[in-house]
Amino acid sequence: LSQNFEDLLLDENSKDFTIEIESEKPIYLRCHKAILNCRSDYFKALFRSKMIESQQGKVVLHDTSKEMMEKFLKYIYTGKIEINEENAVEILISSRKFCLDQISEFAAKFIKQRI
Amino acid sequence: MSRKMILRVPKFQEPKRMEKSEAQRLWLLLKDAIVEVQHMNASTLSFEELYRSSYSLVIAKRGDILYTGLEEVNNHHTKNLLDKIAQAVDERFLIELNSQWQQYKLQQIMIHDILMYLDRMYVKEPQLKVFDLGMFKWKQNVLIHSQINDRLVRMLLGLIHMERNGEVIDGALMKSLIQMYVDVSLKEKETYKQEFEERFLLATSHFYKSESNLFITNNSCGAYLKKVEIRLIEEEARIKQYLDESTGPKLIKACEDELIANHMQTMIEMETGCRTMIQNDRFNELKLMYRLFQRVENGLVHLKNEFAGYVRNEGHKIVNQPENLKDPNALITSLIEIRNRFEKTLSQSFANNRDFINSVNTAFESFLNENDKLSESLALFIDKKLRGGFKDSNDQEIDVIMNKVILLFRFLSDKDVFKKFYEHYLAKRLLSGRSFSEDLERTMISKFKQECGNQFTSKMEGMFTDMRLSKDALDGFKNYLQTSVEMGKLPKIDMSVRVLTQGFWPTFPPHSCTLPPLLSQYCDLFTKYYCHAHTGRRIIWQTNIGTAEVTFRLPKKTHVLALSTYQMLIMLLFNDAEKLSLKQMAAGTSISFMDIQRSVKPLYSGKYKVLKRTPAVEKSKELSENDIFELNLNLKCKLHRIKFAATSQTDSEPERQHTRQRVDEDRKIEIDAAIVRIMKSRKALIHNDLIVECTKQLSSRFVPQTSMIKKRIENLIEREYLERFPDDRRRYRYLA
Repeated sequence: LSQNFEDLLLDENSKDFTIEIESEKPIYLRCHKAILNCRSDYFKALFRSKMIESQQGKVVLHDTSKEMMEKFLKYIYTGKIEINEENAVEILISSRKFCLDQISEFAAKFIKQRI
Repeated sequence: MSRKMILRVPKFQEPKRMEKSEAQRLWLLLKDAIVEVQHMNASTLSFEELYRSSYSLVIAKRGDILYTGLEEVNNHHTKNLLDKIAQAVDERFLIELNSQWQQYKLQQIMIHDILMYLDRMYVKEPQLKVFDLGMFKWKQNVLIHSQINDRLVRMLLGLIHMERNGEVIDGALMKSLIQMYVDVSLKEKETYKQEFEERFLLATSHFYKSESNLFITNNSCGAYLKKVEIRLIEEEARIKQYLDESTGPKLIKACEDELIANHMQTMIEMETGCRTMIQNDRFNELKLMYRLFQRVENGLVHLKNEFAGYVRNEGHKIVNQPENLKDPNALITSLIEIRNRFEKTLSQSFANNRDFINSVNTAFESFLNENDKLSESLALFIDKKLRGGFKDSNDQEIDVIMNKVILLFRFLSDKDVFKKFYEHYLAKRLLSGRSFSEDLERTMISKFKQECGNQFTSKMEGMFTDMRLSKDALDGFKNYLQTSVEMGKLPKIDMSVRVLTQGFWPTFPPHSCTLPPLLSQYCDLFTKYYCHAHTGRRIIWQTNIGTAEVTFRLPKKTHVLALSTYQMLIMLLFNDAEKLSLKQMAAGTSISFMDIQRSVKPLYSGKYKVLKRTPAVEKSKELSENDIFELNLNLKCKLHRIKFAATSQTDSEPERQHTRQRVDEDRKIEIDAAIVRIMKSRKALIHNDLIVECTKQLSSRFVPQTSMIKKRIENLIEREYLERFPDDRRRYRYLA
């Protein structure tokens, strides 16, 4: 099943939503509303609110790096994420914002073991 | 682990202090957005921007600004709404309230979504969650406000009242408004219960109290029951349609109390009530009553007692009806009929409820044992059936009747009395060859066996064995006669003998008589033959239950008379005499005077009279010793063979007495055995305990009288099976 969703992550045609990472040269990450909606309460609320993002089919993020968002997207689609000493703290903080509770817990545990 | 920690902390997440002015800016941004949401203008806002603002405030530990701000905004907003709603008049009120509420709920979801980070990371008990805070403000400032709450509840209850009176109301609106009370409750639906449910239930009880009182006085019980059922269905539907499900059991209970519990006694006693329904077999109405009574506490107890009382009463009438006391067949037939009738009521109306069945059975037990007639009547009933009453029934019908007999038998407390009578009539059937079918006899016996075990039927089975062995013995005897020397000297008569094992058969009262010489010789021959074949056996002749065929020569015609042995002896006397008094008959045959009386009666008073009384005495039924009889030579009868009853058909009182006495004798033995059995295992026992135990052990066969048990204990003490304790006279000790 997770393989199927991983394939879906590469299927550009069916994607219906854009995540824009704000920087000098904006980066666009394409994805599926339906998947995001059921995996993250942040996105669920965003779609439900029917505010400007759901009308434009695009959200602009100011405080999340491209790498981090790609990691999260991979996690959202496949349930897999790689945590190491390099990124653990950043993952913990950012995952909270997107209500990815499992990752937050996992990262917190990871950090605790190393303090 | 000695590895060095090298967690990397990202630069941009380094704790940054947020200026107060920055916090204020973010809050104002959010506040404006919330106000926009409250005015349903959310589509131009950016979710991410608002979410990020609240996120930043919380991260910077400025959640308090946000939370208190939100509280104020909500407060302000709901107060505005109150004025708007309260102004609405009449029906507009409910519609306005509802539409504002629906919008408000949506807004609160949206506000919750924007402030999700605050909700998740900042709000801690006892603070309310963002959404709950919204609900609380609505409750506080709108719903339970004096301008709203009372008016709303009154209108809701008014609508429900209208609906109960048959009008159509807007169910969706009701559901939404009633659900509002649930939604604003913080825990355990307390607002709903306090503000709405309590008053609703009170109104319900009130409504049904007056409706039921009015309806039941103006309608039949059946109509009332139907009305109740419909009302209950309606209320069930009401729960589904617009009440909270938690109200269900309470609402139904309130309805049941008013509609059923409060009127149970009336429904049972009223003219068209339970009693009449039972009397007239109104199965459907009773079924409905059962279903409804079942719903309330002790409801079925009332119904059951009423029914059982009726059963007992009906049964009591039947067993005491004078016609039935005279006619055992009618008695048992009526009993089977009412049993069938009540079984039908039980299955069709009372779902074969165990308690109901048991109480009907108890009722049967009580009236069936009201008098001691029943054991004999039941035995006689079967006797009649087995003598040919089953002729026109098929196997299935026979089985049904037999099972009913067993059923009635089960209720008898003195089964031993029944057994004695049954054996008595069985013996008579077998000996007189009047049994209709051996198969049916055996089927009946096997049913008793199933019910009571081997011991109960062993004697009956013994009788059948005797009948078979007698046939063999008789065949052997006939062969023996042909080869016997003495045979040549004797005129041939056809003699048939039945050898009955003592113990299997009821003991017939001993009677003696003088047989004519020829018959005596034959009897001696048989005795000789039989005792030779079976050494160690003794034969006692019971001539009083035998039969004989006698040729009766009239001047113009010859008849064959089928008679009892006694009647034969009497008739033979007329070979040597023209006229005989009863006294002479008794002297000539050595038969007791009473038996003479009983034997002669059918001969001169039946349809065909072979004897006549001289001089003819009209109407005098009692015979005296000196009454004189002579042969009726003018007998007119088309039949060649004339059959006479041996004595009157049913048993005479002395015979019945005899059977009873034997039952008592047997009981003594049973009680002795029971006492000894109990004492042997218990060694020592107090008087009362022994009585109780003994009664219990014997209850499957009969109910022993305490006085009889006492006598048997005394007797056993005399016979040194038991002794009293010297220091405690109430205790007995078993003596090995």
